Amino acid sequence: MSAVSAALRQRAGGLFWFWSVGAFRRSLPVLFLAGLAAFILGPLLSLILWAFAGRWFYPALLPQEFSLKWWDVVFGNRSVVSSIKYSLMTAPTVTLLSALICLPAAYAFARFQFPGRRFLLLSFLSANSFPKIGLYISIATLFYRLHLMTTFWGVVLIQLMGTLLFMIWIPTGTFRGINRSLEEAARDVGASSARTFFQITLPIAMPGLLVAGLFAFLAAFDEAQGTLIVGSPNYITMPVMMYTLVLNYPQPVGAVFSILLTVPSLVLLLLAQRLLRQGYLAAGYTL
Amino acid sequence: MTGLALVLPPFFLLVFFILVPAAEAVLDTLRVERGGQIVYSLVRYAEMLRTISLRRSVVFTILVTLASVGVTFALAYALALYLRFSKGWVSTLLGALFIIPLFIPTVIASFAMVTFLEHHGYVATLLHTIGVEDTPSLVFNATGIVLTEVWASIPFATLVLLAGLQGIDDALIDSARDVGAGALRTFLAVVLPLNTVATVITMSLLFIGILGSFTIPYLVGGNAPQMMSVVMTNYFTNYLRPDISVALAALSFVIAALAGAAYVGGVSHRERGAV
Amino acid sequence: MRNCFRIPKRTTAFLAVVVVSVLGLYGIPARGQMAGVTLYISGDTNIQEMFDKDLLPLFERETSVKTKMVFLEHGQGAESILTKIIAAKRTGQQTDVDLYETQPTFIAQGSSEGIWTRITKDNMANAAKVDPNRPEVLVSNGFGIPYRGSSVVLAYNSKYVKTPPRTYDEILAWIKQNPGKFTYCDPQTCGSGAAFLYVALYKYGKAEDFSGLTYDQARESAWEPALQLLRSLKSNIYNNGFYPNGNVAVLQLLGRENIYMAPVWSDQGMSYLDQGLLPKDIKLVQVSPPFTGGDSAIAIPVHAEHQASGLMFLNWLLTSKAQTIVVNKLAGYPGIDWKYMPKDVRDKFAGIAQNFSPLPNAKYQADAKRLWQEKVAGSGQ
Repeated sequence: MSAVSAALRQRAGGLFWFWSVGAFRRSLPVLFLAGLAAFILGPLLSLILWAFAGRWFYPALLPQEFSLKWWDVVFGNRSVVSSIKYSLMTAPTVTLLSALICLPAAYAFARFQFPGRRFLLLSFLSANSFPKIGLYISIATLFYRLHLMTTFWGVVLIQLMGTLLFMIWIPTGTFRGINRSLEEAARDVGASSARTFFQITLPIAMPGLLVAGLFAFLAAFDEAQGTLIVGSPNYITMPVMMYTLVLNYPQPVGAVFSILLTVPSLVLLLLAQRLLRQGYLAAGYTL
Repeated sequence: MTGLALVLPPFFLLVFFILVPAAEAVLDTLRVERGGQIVYSLVRYAEMLRTISLRRSVVFTILVTLASVGVTFALAYALALYLRFSKGWVSTLLGALFIIPLFIPTVIASFAMVTFLEHHGYVATLLHTIGVEDTPSLVFNATGIVLTEVWASIPFATLVLLAGLQGIDDALIDSARDVGAGALRTFLAVVLPLNTVATVITMSLLFIGILGSFTIPYLVGGNAPQMMSVVMTNYFTNYLRPDISVALAALSFVIAALAGAAYVGGVSHRERGAV
Repeated sequence: MRNCFRIPKRTTAFLAVVVVSVLGLYGIPARGQMAGVTLYISGDTNIQEMFDKDLLPLFERETSVKTKMVFLEHGQGAESILTKIIAAKRTGQQTDVDLYETQPTFIAQGSSEGIWTRITKDNMANAAKVDPNRPEVLVSNGFGIPYRGSSVVLAYNSKYVKTPPRTYDEILAWIKQNPGKFTYCDPQTCGSGAAFLYVALYKYGKAEDFSGLTYDQARESAWEPALQLLRSLKSNIYNNGFYPNGNVAVLQLLGRENIYMAPVWSDQGMSYLDQGLLPKDIKLVQVSPPFTGGDSAIAIPVHAEHQASGLMFLNWLLTSKAQTIVVNKLAGYPGIDWKYMPKDVRDKFAGIAQNFSPLPNAKYQADAKRLWQEKVAGSGQ
């Protein structure tokens, strides 16, 4: 018993090899943390201050006058609520649909050999690398022919294009990282292929698939250029709205809008943080 | 063949909604009317490459993209190493911190960066209180674009690299330490080679993402030179030259395709190693 | 690996939450297919508020025709809406855009595709009250109807500028004497910066040569000295040659006293002063030759779903009652001739600078912006 714990302790010591040298092995991580915190949180804090600033002129460190007047301006705008609603409608739909279409493909890419496999895998990169502005005219014409313009499913489809890459590449890596011998062992004891997939492969792959889903969701949630062509006027989503607001309103109003429109993402962040802390995100995502 | 059947649905979507429209648009840039007849010619591409501001924009785009990828990669790798090999409160806090930008929409991130870094913005105000008189604007130039791109890309890069590091068996590192390898040697000889695929994926996806990003350079960039995505939009909207705009898009696609090739190279390299 | 057995339950719960919330949202129908008129309006927030709070409610009350407004920030989206209208026309379908308010250059761009309705007093009575020689009408190839007008004026901070320039040349001299205290926004992103550019071009070539419908690229060689002039100003511009994005950015620089002088839209400057977003020291003046004006016009697609309602709305918008609201709200000029406006309104605005230079036509505008980018901003130094 004690031999085991001693071995464990030694092993744990080995894990710290990376920081076991250098004089600043204690201060460096803390400095790194402080620097990163300032870099990541700084802009957001400045945004929050602006949202409550009644009057704020340089070089005061804090607003000379705090006020909620800009929040009234924002709540007077009815299209804000509807834009959040549309974003929350399209992004989850896109994510689920994308998973439905892409996950079987990702499994095939990881497990089967077929002609043109590598070429097909690479081709999905083009969904994210041909600039959308170059496609404006052709896409609009195509969507009109298909009666998809200004419809919910049109928006879903255009946002779906931006998620293909994440939903295929990340799960392909995940499935590929799963040891085949586990699946083979299950089949050896008489489990069907479907049963093996759902009881062995899928649970192990789930964290990687969740990461893919998360990225797909965020890609759909953030898509503005395509949504604008296809969706307006019926479906003005959050990011489409944000361009107008950020560029045309005085700074404090833009800040209030930003904070308000970050709330849906923050809910997701809290959910994902829990997944992250429990190691789900990385565990199955071994590439 | 089952494999091919499973792969075809998303591939058809891609062909129908991206590849065919893209090919159509690019073919359009090659069609030129000459004496009442439509002929195919590269004149638009020649014009594009002759224009000095466009040439500078292409170079600028590649440099800014490379700089952003480089800085993001260095930061993310350090972060991933620390998160993988160290436990404690610093690690917990870092783990909670680095993920935040992933959930902030890019429009908002860019706007926040502007309030933070602009002339008389928050950074300038802070520096003013400790005696630095006039801090120049850190946004509306290449610095601003790089900083904002890095801010927005850190979570993705760190996640992929961390996942790669998580796949490395502790026993391998222990044995390297056992034979007396220092931290740096262990990193260079064990960690880095074992993490090649994650590295290639991170680099190529970061490159493609930043190369094609529009929101950040549009809101945070300066007047000139501009990133290609912004220039494309200007040629489309303001200069009434959609043909040049599509030609630029095609060029941007070719540059991105090179990064895609690097990805496939990296992945197949790993597969050869595995067999 | 160690956690893999706990995953399915959590995932199911997570997915259930997502599915339930999506279904909940579907319960609320999103399609608004009532018989009404869909307006695509662009501009800054003062325009949006005027439509949202004043014009649309009044129109709905008076006519019981429902309205739906899509508001676009000028740079973002205006082009894709145009693309959308053209695509609908090419595929032989109707468009949901019943009325499109945009820059006259965009209207001109679509005119060759035959997407706009020719508006005359025969299909819209109040068209008779509009001066056919207004810059907006000319620049839009005759398809755009102005309903509001404003021009660019010079804003200066009277705390620091004791003797404001009265001519364009005096502005240029002031910039050189006060380096770093002047800027104009990037002409691609806003009309006020474009006005500064166009007046420079008009210095070396007559305005009439470029504002008409004809286009001859060779004439642009006359612009060369103007572009050189603007380029030579670069080192004296705020922040060593920084041209901000959009009209609002310039107003903010003025508000924060980063700069003391800049061209701004008269209506925007007025409304920022009213809201306390600019210090009271900021004054607005028109110089000579005047800056350009008239950035907006309305066009109606020939294949609009509710074309008749679109025409009806436009006709209503050009009544003296609606025009009085527009002029009061925007501190601008009416789309119809002043003589059709009520006398008290005419008296109230008698002092406002009534003249502005015409904008160049769509093609010259596009070329001027491109050349500015290539030779002024993108020139290196």
